[in-house]
Amino acid sequence: MLEPVRQFINRHIELTDEEFKTLASKLHLVNFDKRTKLVDIGEVATNVYFVLKGISRRYFYKGKQEMITHLVKEGSLMGSVISFLTGEPSKYFLETIEPVTAYSLSKKDLEELFAANKKWEKFGRKIITAFFLQTEYHNIDMIRYTTRERFVNFMKQNPDLVLRVPQKYLASYLEIQPETFSRLKHLMVKEK
Amino acid sequence: MNKAFADIDPVYFEYAQKYLGRFMEINREELFDLLQYCEIRKFDKRTVIVHEGEIDNYLNLVVKGLIRKYVPVRKDEMILQLATEGHVVQSEISFLTKTPSMVVLETLEPTILVSLTYDKMEEALDKFPKGEKLGRMILQGMFIKKDESRYNRLLKSTRERFFEYMDHHPHMLQRVPQKYLASYLQIKPETFSRLKALMAKPKK
Repeated sequence: MLEPVRQFINRHIELTDEEFKTLASKLHLVNFDKRTKLVDIGEVATNVYFVLKGISRRYFYKGKQEMITHLVKEGSLMGSVISFLTGEPSKYFLETIEPVTAYSLSKKDLEELFAANKKWEKFGRKIITAFFLQTEYHNIDMIRYTTRERFVNFMKQNPDLVLRVPQKYLASYLEIQPETFSRLKHLMVKEK
Repeated sequence: MNKAFADIDPVYFEYAQKYLGRFMEINREELFDLLQYCEIRKFDKRTVIVHEGEIDNYLNLVVKGLIRKYVPVRKDEMILQLATEGHVVQSEISFLTKTPSMVVLETLEPTILVSLTYDKMEEALDKFPKGEKLGRMILQGMFIKKDESRYNRLLKSTRERFFEYMDHHPHMLQRVPQKYLASYLQIKPETFSRLKALMAKPKK
């Protein structure tokens, strides 16, 4: 079960077997039902998760409207990461969409790693860099591409999410009006 | 001391110390150690310092001048950042992943940068005693800022974004053409003019 974690980390930083063992000893396997709220707005996030199975979303409210900023599936990290890193109250909800199986890492354990050896600070930097890049790619895509292009790119890159995630969530994540999303979906089916 | 830093304006040190001080306490001596890894770069106004498709190898702290960062979109340009003294600017994705830049960096005024290459950055973070922690804190700071700007863009109205920006950056109207500010705030030029007119009215 740890293999996906190892693969994920290898993409960002090389750890020795010994180092990976140290990290693995801090991970706890957890299971959540679908539609479980893991972090509330205003709450301090005390864990981050590596997802083995399932999908979650991160969102906040603008008036009554849910604004989804993240959809996370297996093989990635989920969490209200900034609250986790800074210890400040979360500005987002974190909630599962499907049942989720994940490894959790607590803030306390991560702090211990940081204090133990500077290699773990580098580890932290590389993982934070991955989060940073994800946000920046999304920001730039929003600017570079038209609504239609965003829709088509997402469908091509995430055919699984299209089947597993409610359409209104996908529309919110892509910042596309629900009606426009439906229209584009019909067009795409026709073109096939 | 690095020759390049032998006779420069002490103000540059202040900016560097202030920037790094946001992440951890850095004393004068540590600052000089870190600056050994940096170089000073000077550019005329209206110079493109990173082209689209080029790999950006520098992390830059602006110590004088002004840089705009923009994404060329079809026939338009969308401004992502207007960096002035004390700000860090670079083509982040290109720098961090060594891939061709999707953004352009251009000076709008004569500009001086304290710059660090990717390799020198890794070297400095490795050798400097608190370096790895500093590196993590800097990336964390960049990530928080990026996340906040997305959050605010989604949450706030055009009007709120306009007035908040003008409150925090009152001098920018004098330094930057209005169309650039409008592009940065993602406000239509006509709307920008209208909001600016509102601002000019005396507050009661």
